[in-house]
Amino acid sequence: MSSPPELSRRGTVCRGRQLILFLLSAAVLWSLAPAAAVDRLALRLGDLASPMLALQRLSLEYESGAAVLRVDRLRLGQRQWRDLALRCSHATLTFDAVHCGAARLSVAGRVLPLVAELELAGDGRGELGLTFADGGRLGLTFEGGALRARADRLALDKLHAVLAGLDADIDTLFERFRPVATLDGELRWGADGNSPARVSIDVRLFDAGFGSADGLQAGESLELAISGTARALDDGWAWQGEVEWRHGAAYLHPLYLEAGPSVRAQGRLQGGVVVVERSEVALEGVGRLDASARVELDTAAVLELELELTNADLGVLGPRWIAPLIAPASADRMYFGGQLDGLLRLQDGVLAQIDARLEGAGFGFVGAAGGGGFALGPVGGTLAWHAGASTSSRLRIGGGQWERIALGSFELEASLDGRSLSLAPARLPVLDGALVIEHLTLAHTDAGWQGVGGVVIEPVSMPLLTEALEMPRMGGVLAASLPDVRVSPGEITLNGALVVSVFDGYLQATGLRLVEPFGVASHLSADIEGRRLDLSQLTDTFSFGSVTGFVDLSLAGLELLRWRPVAFDARISSSPGRYPRRISQRAVQNISALGGGGAMAAVQRSLLGIFDTFGYRELGLTCRLRAGVCMMDGVEGGARADGGFVIVRGGGVPALDVIGYNRRVNWNELVERLQRVMADNVSPELR
Amino acid sequence: MNLSMVLTRWCVLLCLALGGMSAVHAQGNLEIDTPAVSALRQSMQQRHAQLAPLYAAGAIGLAADGSVALRDASAIPLAQRAQANSLLAAENADRAALYREIARANGRPEWEADVRRTFAQRWIDRAQPGWYVQQGGNWVRK
Repeated sequence: MSSPPELSRRGTVCRGRQLILFLLSAAVLWSLAPAAAVDRLALRLGDLASPMLALQRLSLEYESGAAVLRVDRLRLGQRQWRDLALRCSHATLTFDAVHCGAARLSVAGRVLPLVAELELAGDGRGELGLTFADGGRLGLTFEGGALRARADRLALDKLHAVLAGLDADIDTLFERFRPVATLDGELRWGADGNSPARVSIDVRLFDAGFGSADGLQAGESLELAISGTARALDDGWAWQGEVEWRHGAAYLHPLYLEAGPSVRAQGRLQGGVVVVERSEVALEGVGRLDASARVELDTAAVLELELELTNADLGVLGPRWIAPLIAPASADRMYFGGQLDGLLRLQDGVLAQIDARLEGAGFGFVGAAGGGGFALGPVGGTLAWHAGASTSSRLRIGGGQWERIALGSFELEASLDGRSLSLAPARLPVLDGALVIEHLTLAHTDAGWQGVGGVVIEPVSMPLLTEALEMPRMGGVLAASLPDVRVSPGEITLNGALVVSVFDGYLQATGLRLVEPFGVASHLSADIEGRRLDLSQLTDTFSFGSVTGFVDLSLAGLELLRWRPVAFDARISSSPGRYPRRISQRAVQNISALGGGGAMAAVQRSLLGIFDTFGYRELGLTCRLRAGVCMMDGVEGGARADGGFVIVRGGGVPALDVIGYNRRVNWNELVERLQRVMADNVSPELR
Repeated sequence: MNLSMVLTRWCVLLCLALGGMSAVHAQGNLEIDTPAVSALRQSMQQRHAQLAPLYAAGAIGLAADGSVALRDASAIPLAQRAQANSLLAAENADRAALYREIARANGRPEWEADVRRTFAQRWIDRAQPGWYVQQGGNWVRK
């Protein structure tokens, strides 16, 4: 056996097509030798380099129809691999071609799970085909300084199995997001003489998915069509492309997104940073969405992002994009409508600016326990928030609804600074009065909202208010001065007084406190004092019979849960002073009836049958409501030896006492009885 | 350890630290039943039927701060993850309100953090076998 001829071009740097020329030169030498005399060949081909591809210490060994092609170092773009070997089981060398079939590729001693085929032709054309175990194929063609990569049902996870351990960044990406996908399509890279290199891509990813370990970023059954081109610049690339999301869904915490959106973009790639100079996103519910961005390629860190929305439909955007971000706990209770134009900017991954313009917008919030909730609209105007700067926002609200109460139109002007909000004085019309916010400053802390303010309620007429609340009609007005409003997480205290002039007397509420205002346990507490309320108007309003006289009322520690009283210490007693005091037969019967079955009241039956009205000296009733039970008592000093208590102490002619016997009354039953009494269909049981 | 013990211990330590010679016996009632507490408990009980399978699947767990945390969303079908997140946020809003309300009902709003800590331990102690609980910053399967 003769010793192999040896060629060497160590240290040579050449362009891609020269690889072929080297190999062909070697082939020429081999072919010139007598065929029978040469069955071994070893070539040392030195180095090859181009901007896209570089090979160091390339060599070929051929022996008896088998060959090994070795590369000490391969660089493809920014990636590098060492110690590559392509071992061909069937190799042929002819004058114009080198063929290497049924080959195994190994990197750093590890044999990759694929079968390779290499064809190098004398016209400068080379082909490398990689076939994976599942039939997926990746074909690489080098021709005239151009590279063409064609994927045919290439499984991304199979490709990663090949590349695993070869690139730490790719391994980290696969470990974090466990992507799977099948790839069809083509990538072309070309550099021709003096013209700049160009890359074009047209691929389809399907049966794709990904998922972070915590499941907060995931996609399933995805299909994406990606196309685009790039042109080499002196210091990077200029590119343009289009991505179309055709199928599947993704969860990007806390947003659930479905196929449909597509993006057309153009930009540059410079210094490891992808610059999206201009892009247009097609998204359901959005007339137009333009985006620009700067993203660091290695870390995927968003250095800058700007989104500009035009003609967005809040009815679509609100539930999908806004509610899950701003109020996930009540996302299903919020509703939106109207139009939004806006701009959103992120700087170094942090929100830097929001500018929104609303037109005909509407917002609503269904109460936690059902009910009318809260709604505003139509809303127009601007909202602005800029990091590190104070901005002013102005909104015109056409009207609103809180539970059953309608709000008129008003304007809100606020200054936003960081996590603080300061509201300029605002007047919210309520029926024929108004809620005037004299000042309000709020700051958002980690625990929630905190702040102070001052509120006045300009007189609201009680007939309108009671009508709106579907209560029996009452005269008078309601007004309030609450100069010291304090907002803390889970609580709003309103220091001052709310006064209702009603029944020729007045009611005054102090110590107003709204606890957990937006939750299921939303409750209001207050202390209420009433003075000299005209009983004839009161009993007439509530169809309770007729009582003349006046009463004082004390309702201490009143607590309303979802507008239903759950606790109080109540006392009603005759007001001091001289005035006519008469009680009608029906009122006596009704008071008795409130005591319930089992005859808790005792009246003089004979008198009741004879007279329509009776004189009385005083009346008094107390109820201490706790845990659904009202502990009752009557006038002061009215306890009787038989366990009863005097509710109405008779006086004058004719006179009678109304006496209660049941001190412990179920509150819900009491309310039901009261409703029945007011419905005028009760016949009291008497003893 | 109940709230009373926690608070007593805390107060004793504080008093000793301040040089006081007498122990302060704060009385806290975790079982206090106000209408607001009842409304919150009822709301949480109603939601529990939806949360239970998520606990069992390990998708959510009982966090050390008395809240419920999303531990492994991949255990929830993709299309239901946003809904589960909303459910969790609502549960945590109720829990925060419950801790505040119990402290308020005891007449000591400043006890909220203690109530939260005590409840956190209680939820973890009472977690069913197979549920995940947070201990020492790690998730542990009971």
